[in-house]
Amino acid sequence: MATISLSGIAKSFGDTRVLNTIDLDVEDGEFLTLVGPSGCGKSTLLRIIAGLEAPSGGGVDIGGRDVTAVRPADRNLAMVFQSYALYPHLTVAENMMTPLKLRDLSFWERFPILGPVLARGKHRALRDQVDETAGVLKIDPLLDRKPGQLSGGQRQRAALGRAMVRKPVAFLMDEPLSNLDAALRVHMRAELAELHRALGTTFIYVTHDQAEALTMSDRMAVMMHGDILQLDNPRRVYGDPADLRVAEFVGSPKINVLPGDADSDGRLSFLGLPVKRRIAGSHGGISIGIRPEHLRLSGAGEGALSGIVRHVEHLGSDIFLHVDIADGAHRLVARATPAEAERISIADPVNVAQVDGAAMAFAAEGHRLRFSEFGAASRETPQMDKAVA
Amino acid sequence: MVRSHAHIWFVAPAIFLMIVILLVPIGIAAVLSFTDYSLGNPGAEWVGLQNYERIFTRSTYEKMFIATFTYVGVVVPLTVGLGLGAALLIHSLNRFSDIYKTIYFLPVMAALLAMAIVWEFALHPTIGIVNSTLAQGCGTFLENWNWYARSCERTFPLWLTDKDYAIWTVAFIGVWQGFGFNMVLYLAGLTSIPRELYHAAEMDGARSAWDRFKLVTWPMLGPTTVFVVTISCIRSFQVFDTVEAFYPQGGGPSKSVYVMMFAIYEKAIQQNLMGIGAAITIIFLGFVMMLTLLQRWLVERRVHYA
Repeated sequence: MATISLSGIAKSFGDTRVLNTIDLDVEDGEFLTLVGPSGCGKSTLLRIIAGLEAPSGGGVDIGGRDVTAVRPADRNLAMVFQSYALYPHLTVAENMMTPLKLRDLSFWERFPILGPVLARGKHRALRDQVDETAGVLKIDPLLDRKPGQLSGGQRQRAALGRAMVRKPVAFLMDEPLSNLDAALRVHMRAELAELHRALGTTFIYVTHDQAEALTMSDRMAVMMHGDILQLDNPRRVYGDPADLRVAEFVGSPKINVLPGDADSDGRLSFLGLPVKRRIAGSHGGISIGIRPEHLRLSGAGEGALSGIVRHVEHLGSDIFLHVDIADGAHRLVARATPAEAERISIADPVNVAQVDGAAMAFAAEGHRLRFSEFGAASRETPQMDKAVA
Repeated sequence: MVRSHAHIWFVAPAIFLMIVILLVPIGIAAVLSFTDYSLGNPGAEWVGLQNYERIFTRSTYEKMFIATFTYVGVVVPLTVGLGLGAALLIHSLNRFSDIYKTIYFLPVMAALLAMAIVWEFALHPTIGIVNSTLAQGCGTFLENWNWYARSCERTFPLWLTDKDYAIWTVAFIGVWQGFGFNMVLYLAGLTSIPRELYHAAEMDGARSAWDRFKLVTWPMLGPTTVFVVTISCIRSFQVFDTVEAFYPQGGGPSKSVYVMMFAIYEKAIQQNLMGIGAAITIIFLGFVMMLTLLQRWLVERRVHYA
């Protein structure tokens, strides 16, 4: 049980800069996800926390102790690797026993044949620990099998068991679910989150899958090009992104981004439609982001964009319509209920309108532009909000 | 469904060749080993197990087995051990590893017969570089070593012609020549070990290099080791060129280097005693067969993890 804090962590491989001065504080017992596209430096950051990679600058602090120069074996962390990295010549039980043996037994007590005879009590205690962990993970029947005889999901559990068995101060997980099939991944997502609640230990979880980050974490750090762009709880990262890149990375289907304008008063509009919000100051090259669920089918008229349906994605509970607007210059993705979309087929003309107040504005450099609280535009909104509700 | 016979045509050439150039000659050798056939004789007498009886009772053949097993017993562990050691050291290098690889592999590439001549010069009792280098050490602290002091007093050993040294010298040359090959095999085995396993071992608390070797490297090299040991055994059983180059007259001082391959050559070719030569060949094949079966068993049972 420990807090982990990183201060000014930088990493370069030769001339390639992978991490630019990362500061991060992980609270005790927190489930923190590092999420980002491949090559953003998230795995490197995790490996620096583990000690498998030395940072070019900055320090790592675990439980108030500076461990920057401490080797991985002495940091008391456990890691689950993407490939699981189980020892293929050992059974699951022996795999899980390995970290216990290496830490708790002396050289002679670990000696084959002789060791178990010399320290029978210790060996039995370790075996009991393995059995207990196996019981929690429900892998008791697999203990005598070798990793080669296990399925992907079972291997994943065995790797988890090897990490759990010695009760580390924190778990580091490097894309542990990415080798599993889709259904199992969704199942393991819930199971890992439950496991985290049951153990109450700090989890640092690396993934490129925004869905995993959104569903499991207490807080998520969205990383890109060696920087943490936003560190917040999943609800805020999704609903209130601080950067256009964050807004685009988190959420599926992707947020719709359209070029916007702000007049001299800061009133926003896009494609000739007012957003009914204003921003402070004037900016050029503004982007307006609208999530698919904030677009709805509407009748023709003011405030609606007319377009042609080009593609329909049927996901059962939701239907996503890909709509070409402005003669194909932009494509929007709008969410509809199955009832609404029942009559719509490809090449049909439709009108979509935005849900008021849900649009987000981003500056040309990508950072979020906050709406000003008071202004002529915002006065119009209350009645519209009622309509939406 | 119409049954096609095409498959017969695909396997027929290989089976035909295997029968003609492998199985039939082995069969003939097996038959000959029960006769006293000589090349050029119109016929041969059936002598039953007489040839085998000779091999297992006469002292010449006892020397043959002693020489062969001494050679195999020295060369196999040393070439495997040194090959693994050299591979581990080279694998840990960031720079110059290619140079070391080349250096250690050179003896493998060289023709052993030519190298035997070079060694003969080097080990020559009077003009050889080995003994003259050793003589430089006389009068220094090395004389604290009894063997060295005695050699300085009299003379350094006649490496190749003293019956106490000959087989060890030949074995040494075998090790020198053979371990580079094993090193290359081990290097290939080392590169195929996933790096994540070492990281997992480190996270699990394997602090010392020995722990990592025991937990990851050695088990993961299991399949390589079985192959390397088998190949080394067969190659050691086959040793011939050095013995023929050093001792064309027959098996070295007091037949102390009278290895099996040379015995086959001497009996069957030089002395035209086909029967006894064939019998040694069959025994030789028996050893190789046992090794091969052992390897197969090990590969299937022990080291095949997937």
